[in-house]
Amino acid sequence: MTMTWLSHLKSKLKDWTGRGENLARVDRGILIFENTSEVIRAENRLKAAACEVRVMGPPPEIQRGCDLVIEVPLMQHLEIWRLLKDAGVPPLEMVPVTGPLLAPVDLFQTVDYGDHLMVRAANMKICIEKATQTIVNISGGGCPDVPYLAWQMVGKTLREAPRPRDIGHTLCGYALELAYEEMMRQCSAS
Amino acid sequence: MAVTIDARGLSCPQPVLATLKEIKSGSDPEMVILVDTDTSKENVSRAVVSQGCTVKEVQSDTEGYKIYVTRE
Repeated sequence: MTMTWLSHLKSKLKDWTGRGENLARVDRGILIFENTSEVIRAENRLKAAACEVRVMGPPPEIQRGCDLVIEVPLMQHLEIWRLLKDAGVPPLEMVPVTGPLLAPVDLFQTVDYGDHLMVRAANMKICIEKATQTIVNISGGGCPDVPYLAWQMVGKTLREAPRPRDIGHTLCGYALELAYEEMMRQCSAS
Repeated sequence: MAVTIDARGLSCPQPVLATLKEIKSGSDPEMVILVDTDTSKENVSRAVVSQGCTVKEVQSDTEGYKIYVTRE
């Protein structure tokens, strides 16, 4: 009897949470772009306009174009579309969110090497000299713009260096931007 | 006689950090850095140039690369 009641409760709970997820997601849509560079530009533009957006990985059934999408409030999609069109980065398509989105980069790892500090975001690492906050190494990825990003940033301080979001064009550039932001956060906190 | 830094088997950024440590604390005018991946070769080369040193030569063999660096 107890087992039956527990099973029933679990089943109801599962139904309820499932419905909750759906309810939470029906008001969101995703914007699909031609390439990652456009996603980064579009995100910058939308955040500058105080839009509530998130860069995510697309659900498998819509994987086309690049490997990042922007999740937006469905109610605002016309306004957002116009904003992006005016900014020269119109999306390829907007589709309502029906499945789970993948967080493209949601894991940070920090390693303290004594005089140096490294932050890793997904496949990209940034390493600085603590005393001067000079970037001593950028590595990881495998995207074509990583050597360029490294040449532009290594040898400069965190504040002097160009932002990966401004000069990167790939998922690696995007991951490096997140690592950079996390490094800035840690340096500001210390 | 150049000082040798054996960074083979180390993952990024450790080859770079070992090289920078030698640049800052050592006094030998010449260094040879041993690495075993393309990525480490590029990262170390970039790091030494950013410190005002010069990559004189890079030799490759079956065990990886030897990066010959001179201090300015």
